[in-house]
Amino acid sequence: MDETDAPIILDRVTKRFGSLTAVDSLSLRIPRGQIVALLGPNGAGKSTTVSLLMGLAAPDGGEVSVCGERPGAAVSRGRVAAMLQDCGPMPGVRVAELVELTRRMYPAPSPTAAAIEVAGLADMAQRRVDRLSGGQLQRLKFALVAVADPELMLLDEPTVAMDVQARAGFWSAMRTYAAAGTTILFASHYLDEVERNADRVVVMAHGRVVADGTPDEVRAAGGAAIVRFRLPQPAALPRLPGRVTFADGWARVDTADPDLTVRMLAASDVPWRDLRVYQTSLDESFLALVGTDGADGTAKEMAS
Amino acid sequence: MTGYFARLECLRMLRDPRYLALAVVAPIGFYLLFASLFGGGMPGRLPGTVEIMVAMAAYGAIWGALSATGPRIAHERAGGWLQQLQAMPVAARQVMAAKLAAGMTVTLPALVLVCLTAAVVKGVRLDTWQWATLLAVMWVGSLPFVVMGVAIGFVVGAEAAFPLSYGLYMAMAALGGLWVPPAQLPAALRQLAGALPSYRLADLGWRIAAGSAPSAADVAILAAWTAGLGLLAALAYRRRPRRRLGSGPRPGPRRRHASSPAAA
Repeated sequence: MDETDAPIILDRVTKRFGSLTAVDSLSLRIPRGQIVALLGPNGAGKSTTVSLLMGLAAPDGGEVSVCGERPGAAVSRGRVAAMLQDCGPMPGVRVAELVELTRRMYPAPSPTAAAIEVAGLADMAQRRVDRLSGGQLQRLKFALVAVADPELMLLDEPTVAMDVQARAGFWSAMRTYAAAGTTILFASHYLDEVERNADRVVVMAHGRVVADGTPDEVRAAGGAAIVRFRLPQPAALPRLPGRVTFADGWARVDTADPDLTVRMLAASDVPWRDLRVYQTSLDESFLALVGTDGADGTAKEMAS
Repeated sequence: MTGYFARLECLRMLRDPRYLALAVVAPIGFYLLFASLFGGGMPGRLPGTVEIMVAMAAYGAIWGALSATGPRIAHERAGGWLQQLQAMPVAARQVMAAKLAAGMTVTLPALVLVCLTAAVVKGVRLDTWQWATLLAVMWVGSLPFVVMGVAIGFVVGAEAAFPLSYGLYMAMAALGGLWVPPAQLPAALRQLAGALPSYRLADLGWRIAAGSAPSAADVAILAAWTAGLGLLAALAYRRRPRRRLGSGPRPGPRRRHASSPAAA
């Protein structure tokens, strides 16, 4: 794979703020046209990674390449566009005016009207940006990325404050962009939309990658299934193939092998009751990965 | 792109009733009031209608320059527009060029309309070259106020920028002899006035209206203010806190949706 096929290459990138290592020897390669979700709790290093990719922060070590260039060069040549938190629109102008200004900044933009349409702002094109609601502002940020039509989109919590309809429209547009070869890296706290829209999920904790794969693979990495049962009186369990936790009289086993777990329980003389087996959701894998497993920074390499 | 950017910057001002009231309507209104009260003038000096015309043109131009920059830049820093621009393919110098161009442009309505009011309503007559030079020179002389506004915008926050700009404006107008003719100020204040850019801006116009050239002191003092404030603006721009992005775990993230376990 040559440089042009991977719009994002991070090679052992480290970023420190005083004594805090926000990004810790992070290596990541994202090929063209992929929709990648970046997950992690607050402070995991997601936003720092995005600011390194936008050239807003310089790494203390390692190499960052965006579209085959330094991040600052890729930004100033209009090859990457971003929806960032803490950013806002130019005050006092109309929606259409701000989209038009943005269109004039980029080398290969979409028409202004098309970007306003795809962001669902057609009715509000002549409204002052100061009078938009939170969800409408988020759609405006989307319109600014849509009009730029860049090679790489970096989206930090893009659907925050959007209603269900706006989110659906947003993701359908994103899939169209990805099909046309746009690479999309987004951070989100909505795991359901990650599960439905990402080709690949990268989970970060403490500045490192703790899981990297398809949503199914990440789900499996956190334990493929959960076995729960009640323990009316304390009893010593056999050595089950998974992580066992107890809460409110329930035992919970996060396991990659639910069959073996159930057989071992059945063969034991533990007085368990109400046994049930669930498929792990991405939420639960995520918590498992960034919880105890994430703390020691063990990376689970899977696909790619 | 920079041209469209500057156009939007100007449009924002023209849509702002506060700008129109303070930087266009007020100087015209004050001109009509003061020129009617003190329009006589004294021998050997400019007629009152002319002296007050220049003072009120300067008065309006200064507020146009300050209000287009100071409070707006501070507001944009707080609202995230300047951060957004950092993530876009536009150079800081293009942003600054658009701001300076807009700041200079919105000084023009006050300059032109006060002079027009003087000519039409109060019958002020100057030679064509005097009108042209007076407007052009006073317009260029407004530059230090645009730069002052940029410095204010980068030095103080959104809350303080408007009161600070307006306070400085009032102080410079009063002490710079725009309200009371400088000749009537006490000696100590007259010396202070001589050092202020507001007095020097008006002095450019008074001298041209009297048929002479602007003094070297006018030009030097306005240039010195421009350079000094430009340096202050540049320093404040450099040392302003970078966007908080990437400052590690943020104490109070402004997330409205913290319902998923990921936010835990």
